[in-house]
Amino acid sequence: MKLDKSQPLEYGTHQNQMNILGFWIFLGAEIMLFGTLFASFFTLENGVGSGPTGADVFEITPVVLETIILLTSSFTIGLATHAMRINNKKATLVFLGITLLLGLSFLSVEIYEFIHYYHVGLTLQTSAFSAILLTTLGTHGAHVTFGLFWGLFIFLQIKKRGFTPETTNKSFIFSLYWHFLDVVWIFIFSFIYLKGLM
Amino acid sequence: MKELFPAKQVMGFVSSLLLTVVALCVYFLDMSFEVGMTILLVTAFIQAALQLVFFMHAGESSDKKAIYTNVYYGIAIALVTVFGTLLTLIWGYM
Repeated sequence: MKLDKSQPLEYGTHQNQMNILGFWIFLGAEIMLFGTLFASFFTLENGVGSGPTGADVFEITPVVLETIILLTSSFTIGLATHAMRINNKKATLVFLGITLLLGLSFLSVEIYEFIHYYHVGLTLQTSAFSAILLTTLGTHGAHVTFGLFWGLFIFLQIKKRGFTPETTNKSFIFSLYWHFLDVVWIFIFSFIYLKGLM
Repeated sequence: MKELFPAKQVMGFVSSLLLTVVALCVYFLDMSFEVGMTILLVTAFIQAALQLVFFMHAGESSDKKAIYTNVYYGIAIALVTVFGTLLTLIWGYM
């Protein structure tokens, strides 16, 4: 394994560079996936039937809370990558840990929201609007849930093995994934919640 | 402690918070649908670009070209999907 010292460790080998490029290609596909979900949402959002509309059920407080939590977690995972590059294992683990805790709080608020929707009579079967709303939010939420487990395993690997070409590469790719989830949330926040409340 | 918080990332974080506050004006201030949507489109796309450049280090490796081409391709397909759908299924019937 040839290690290129002029690059950060996560790019150090050819395999690592290919992993990162490959993950970007995956993210390109994810952009298209969420594109189709948004297209469906804009098509179906007025099909509320006798169920509640977005303006009826959306609450601004949890939505702002989720946005701030996710933006902060995107910041802390960026700091974790930076700490990794200056070879500070303790700081990397702290920032990664904070990111995961923030991800968990995001998920708790989202689950609270879903329970709230259920109580005001908005379920997956209520209307075309409710179906696409919960599908879109659920797809994002499922990504966050998956990311929590993924991040936890990377946390444990760094703790056990320290910084190797493998662990740094994995955590860099995880940080790309996490930032991407934040980008998707920004669009959900703007074009589902704020547009619906406007 | 200071070396753990690079200025670039702190700036990126602060600007994304500011853009969120601007986007929230759409809810808290009274404005027309067109003005509101314009604000949301501008703030959302700037925020997405901020993440890409400040946090995701999209331009730092030798694969920079391939990465950007791929991201632009994904965005182009997503935009064609969204606006094509709106054009054929919504706007034509308004």
